[in-house]
Amino acid sequence: MEIRGVTIEDTFAEAFTMHAARIVITGRNMRWAREAALKLTGFATSVIGCKCEAGIERELPASDTPDGRPGVSVLFLTMDADSLGKRLIERLGQTVLTCPTTACFDGLPKAPDRLTVGKALRVFGDGFQASKVIGGARYWRIPVMEGEFLVSESFGRQTGVGGGNFLILAGDADAALAAAEAAVGAIEPMEGVVLPFPGGVVRSGSKVGSKRYKKLLATTNDAFSPTLRAITTTAVPDGVNCVLELVLDGLDDAAISAAMAAGIRAACIDGVRAISAGNYGGKLGPHHFHLRRILTPAS
Amino acid sequence: MSETVTLTLRSALDRDLVALGLTADRCAAAGAKQIAELPVFYGGQPARVGDFFAIQGERAARLLLVGDLTRASGIGAGMTGGDLVIEGHVGRDAGAWMSGGTIDIHGDAGDNLGGAAPGASRGMTGGEIVVRGRAGTDAAASLRRGLIVIAGDAGDRMGQRMIAGSVLLCGKTGRGAGRWIKRGSIVSLAPIERPATFRYACTYQPPHLSVTFLYLRKRYGLSIDHRYVAGRYARYSGDLAELGKGEILEWVG
Repeated sequence: MEIRGVTIEDTFAEAFTMHAARIVITGRNMRWAREAALKLTGFATSVIGCKCEAGIERELPASDTPDGRPGVSVLFLTMDADSLGKRLIERLGQTVLTCPTTACFDGLPKAPDRLTVGKALRVFGDGFQASKVIGGARYWRIPVMEGEFLVSESFGRQTGVGGGNFLILAGDADAALAAAEAAVGAIEPMEGVVLPFPGGVVRSGSKVGSKRYKKLLATTNDAFSPTLRAITTTAVPDGVNCVLELVLDGLDDAAISAAMAAGIRAACIDGVRAISAGNYGGKLGPHHFHLRRILTPAS
Repeated sequence: MSETVTLTLRSALDRDLVALGLTADRCAAAGAKQIAELPVFYGGQPARVGDFFAIQGERAARLLLVGDLTRASGIGAGMTGGDLVIEGHVGRDAGAWMSGGTIDIHGDAGDNLGGAAPGASRGMTGGEIVVRGRAGTDAAASLRRGLIVIAGDAGDRMGQRMIAGSVLLCGKTGRGAGRWIKRGSIVSLAPIERPATFRYACTYQPPHLSVTFLYLRKRYGLSIDHRYVAGRYARYSGDLAELGKGEILEWVG
C-alpha cells in the first residue's frame, strides 16, 4: 500500500488500556486557560517516567464551557484507576488552583465512575470553602488571594487507550520533521485524542526493557535508530536516515484510529519513504491498529 | 403512562385549598384515578383533587398545574423528585420542605416559598424552585439546601435563618433578608437592604454565579442579561450574629 509514493508497511500499532479523565479549564481569556493547561500537561509524556500521560485535546469557545469563558480541554490518563485520582489531585492542586482566573470542570459528567478530586482539593480552603450544587453537580468554591477557585467536586473516569502510534521513516531529518508537523496539524483539531509528547512528536521511541541494563523498563528503540543500522537487527529501510514517532492517547479505539489515519495521510509528503508502527508482537497490548486497515475506509 | 400529568383547574377557587400532597413524585407513581382521589382540604373541609381539577395523563414524572392557584397552599410541599410546572400563580408554602425535583412557577408565589413546616427548623433541603413572578414573605426561610430563583420582587424576611443553599433574587426585597443565616448565599441583582450584622468583604466576580446563570438559561430558558453573568458583586459576610459563613452577593455592575 502506498500514499503519494510513501509505503505504508503491513504492520500495526499496539496500544494499552488506560484510565482517562477529561478536564475542562476555563480562564478570563484563552491565554490563562492555556497557561494552566500547559502546566497541567507538562512532564506528562509517558507513564514510564511521568506516572501519567496528558495533553491538550482542544481549545473551547466560551459558548462550549460551563461558565461561558474560553477554555481548554485536557485528556489525562494513567495505567490504573487508583492513581488517576491521585495524580489529578497533585496536578490540579499545583497547576490549575494556582493559576490566575481559572476554574476547573469535569469534562466527562456522564461517566458513572467518579474521582473525588475537587472534594480533596477543597481542604486548601482551610474550612472557609463552600460548596454549591448547580444542575445536580456539586462544585467547590475555594477562597484564594485572587478571589475564588471553582472546581467540580468529582471528575468522571472511563477507560481509554494509550500508546497508539505511527513512525515516520524519512530520507532526512528535515523531511521527517516536516511530515511530523503536518501530521500533528491534522490530528490537533480532532476530538477524543491527544499527543502527549513535545509538540506531539517523539524522537526517542523505546523498546521494552534493556539488552544491557536489567533494571531499566525502557531503552532506545535500536531497531528504528538509523545510527545503529549497521550493528543491530534493524528495521530501518535503505535510504532512511531519520525516524520520528507520533504517540496518541485517546478515549476509545475509534478516536485513535481516526486520528492515526488523518495523521498518516498528512505525513505522506516528499522525502518520506515509509510509515510504520511500534508493537510488541501483539502480546502486550489489547488494542491493535493495523495501518492498512485504518487507512482503508470501510465499504 | 404519559409524559406529563396535567391538572387543569375547573373553576376559580373562592375558598382556601390546602393541597399538601400535590407533588410531582406522587403523581409519577399514580394512575389518573388515584390522582383524583388525593386528599385536599377546601375551606377547611376534606375534599379530593378530582373535585377541582380536570386530570389528563398519569404516571409521569412531570406534573403541570394550570390555573390561578393563588388560594391553593402547600403545592409541591415535601416533594422528593420530578418536575412540577405551574402555569399561573400559586399560594403559600409552595415547595416548602421539599427535598428534590424542580418547581417552575410561571406566575407569583405566596408566602413561605420553599420554607419550613410550622415548628420545623429546616425548610427546603434540596431541588430547585424558579418563580417567574414575585414571591411573598419568608421565601427561602430556613433553607437547608437547594436553589430558589425569584425573577420578580420578594417580600420581607427572604432567606431568614438560612442554613445553606442559594437564593437568587432578580427584583427587590423587603426588610430582614438574610437575617440569622448560618451559611448559604443570597444573590441579589438589585440593591438589597442588609442586616447590620453583615460585613462587607470585597467586590469580585464569583465564579460559581456564571455557571449558575448559564445553567438557568439553558434549563429554564431564563433571559439573564450578560451584565449579570460577567458582572462584579459586592460580597457581604454574615450573619455575624450567627455562624457568619453565609453571604449576600449584590450585583454592582
